Amino acid sequence: MTVLILTSEEDVTADMVVAQLHATGTPMMRLDPADLPGKAVLSAEYTHGGFDGRLSVNGHVVSLGGLRSVWVRRPGEPAAHAAHPSPWLTAETRQALFGVLHSASTRWMNHPRNADQARLKPWQLRVAHLSGFAVPPTVFTTSPRLAQQFAEEHRDVVVKSASGPPPGDPALALPTTLIGPDADFSDVAAGPALLQRYIPKRADIRLTCVGARLFAARKTAEPGQVDGRYGDTGHSWQGIPVPERIGRSVHDYVDRAGLAYAAFDFAEDEDGHWWFLECNQGGQFGFVELETGQPISEAVALWLSRREDVGDRRCHRPRRRSGV
Amino acid sequence: MRPFTLNYTLPKALPPVVMSYSFDESRQLNVLPDGRPAVSDPELLLMVGTTTSTAGSQTHFDD
Repeated sequence: MTVLILTSEEDVTADMVVAQLHATGTPMMRLDPADLPGKAVLSAEYTHGGFDGRLSVNGHVVSLGGLRSVWVRRPGEPAAHAAHPSPWLTAETRQALFGVLHSASTRWMNHPRNADQARLKPWQLRVAHLSGFAVPPTVFTTSPRLAQQFAEEHRDVVVKSASGPPPGDPALALPTTLIGPDADFSDVAAGPALLQRYIPKRADIRLTCVGARLFAARKTAEPGQVDGRYGDTGHSWQGIPVPERIGRSVHDYVDRAGLAYAAFDFAEDEDGHWWFLECNQGGQFGFVELETGQPISEAVALWLSRREDVGDRRCHRPRRRSGV
Repeated sequence: MRPFTLNYTLPKALPPVVMSYSFDESRQLNVLPDGRPAVSDPELLLMVGTTTSTAGSQTHFDD
């Protein structure tokens, strides 16, 4: 039984898990959907109610019936490296590759269906609330008047992107930025704005969840610091215990979302309370592991190489509860 | 008129990084010029920033 890792060749964070799998002798294959068609080859035949076939790349082969798990890490767009790429070829290749993989009986970290939903920031806030986290007041709006009202009510608010910086321009950063009610909100009409009450914080918290295992890390913030991802504060990440109440909420969240892996961001306020900011279903973990020594890549490798556990539904369907 | 959020973009100083590792198709991971896996050099990985939370954000929006 083989672990399939969907990611780019440049992804050295994935290397950390590949090295763990090699160390335990776990069969694995690393494939970038961007290399299909081309370096990678897919052949799947529908017979007897299912697909029989194989995927191969760089001399490595996996049979569709021999998949132990699929890790969707940092895959390229299907067919992006093809000789004649096009949106149509990408769509066709996505249909073939993911359609066949979805049909396989395997475990996912994370299932693309659940990942798509988990990326939606408004949905994250709702699930976070239901899971028992403290969530800052937030508004998504295309109304300049409502944006202005929100800023006047909460005074110090931050603006941030729901989906990240515009793709295609690596020289552009879009950090979470503190603004006040004096800002000119007229441009809110040109695109949805995400405004959130600013939480003065004394630390950033990164909590990585791998299956049932939790790894929390803390980095002291500078006074007035808004976005911990940008700027060097001189502080490093330190591993810390997970408060019991937070741990319960994390497990509840990933259960509701159907996630096997998630990286949570919290702001620790001046009273020590943790405020939910977001949950990245494919969040990076290498920087935390390298600075804290927490064995996150080992935990990922163990989850991927574990035998099917019918009691673990995180790879399949999220738990349905009222309100979600 | 541009979307409000884009009023807060900043130019990002891209580090002049020359990747000192390359992908080994047989071992399915990146290796240093001497053949050691790139992950065996944590200082290098931290220096090139390829494992930080903003890495990959240009093509993937999961930080």
